[in-house]
Amino acid sequence: MVDLSQYLPILLFLFIALGLSALFVFLPMGVSRLTGAHNPDAEKLSEYECGFPAFEDPRSQFDVRFYLIAILFIVFDLEAAFLFPWAVSLDLTGWPGWITMMIFLGELAVGLAYAWKVGALEWD
Amino acid sequence: MIQTLAFYLFAVLVTASATMVILSRNPVHSVLWLILSFFNAAGLMVLVGAEFIALLLVIVYVGAVAVLFLFVVMMLDIDFSELRAGFMKNFPIGVAIAVVLLTELVLGIGAYRAGALQLGAPTGDAVPIPGRGNIDSLGAVLYTDYLFLFEAAGIILLVAMVGAIVLTHREQKATRGHQNIGKQVRRNPDEATVMKQPEVGAGVEL
Repeated sequence: MVDLSQYLPILLFLFIALGLSALFVFLPMGVSRLTGAHNPDAEKLSEYECGFPAFEDPRSQFDVRFYLIAILFIVFDLEAAFLFPWAVSLDLTGWPGWITMMIFLGELAVGLAYAWKVGALEWD
Repeated sequence: MIQTLAFYLFAVLVTASATMVILSRNPVHSVLWLILSFFNAAGLMVLVGAEFIALLLVIVYVGAVAVLFLFVVMMLDIDFSELRAGFMKNFPIGVAIAVVLLTELVLGIGAYRAGALQLGAPTGDAVPIPGRGNIDSLGAVLYTDYLFLFEAAGIILLVAMVGAIVLTHREQKATRGHQNIGKQVRRNPDEATVMKQPEVGAGVEL
């Protein structure tokens, strides 16, 4: 079994993050409610000049390029995740482990070069 | 004590959120419940001592796969009431698939319990290295004993990447001039400007 007490700092950070984020959301709301005049009308609540209508169906179809970016993100996210155990165990694996990872990085570098060459990274 | 408590907390939450994944009507809500389920599964992994798997769950599944699910769910233009309309018509097929899955599950567990096959028996040569963490032990076998599988994983990732690009990338015409950085850097003042001494009334040839 794991000694869970070493996760106590993470738990503390979690609580601090939770408290801070709750503060950031609710403190401005409370302060503005307490200090400012609160009498909204239809014109004040409407989007004016340069805004989108705030309430519409969120299920609008959007560009498939977002999906491509997400796939590329997954691939390089996995690559980064594989780097962690490699980095800490390098004294155990030695040169073979180093060469293994370099080949792996080379494979993904081929993919990156392809994506760059094809223009999948360009947005406009 | 606290371990038991944490285990039951995570186990109850992972089961409840997994149930909510299939029960919630809105698929976007399903994905959000799935993210909660991933988080609690990561907590369970920490409890059994697999810290790296737990971090991998959070980084890869919550960070990337769940985002991809959200994209897919939001990109599909589905009329969900229309999908639900054929419930009675598709009910026999659904039950048939469920029965097949249940049978496979029972057979699989039965075969595992019988113990006749020794396919996945651990050899015991990958014991945890004393004094080193979970990640170290994992790295020590992943980059030596299983390096071909690791490189194969790299190839699979490469194929996935190229496949995604081929499927979704559209070559569109350049709407505005593309920057040629090399050309811009090679510019120097001597060639960029030309001195002209035009005669009066003759005009300038460009």
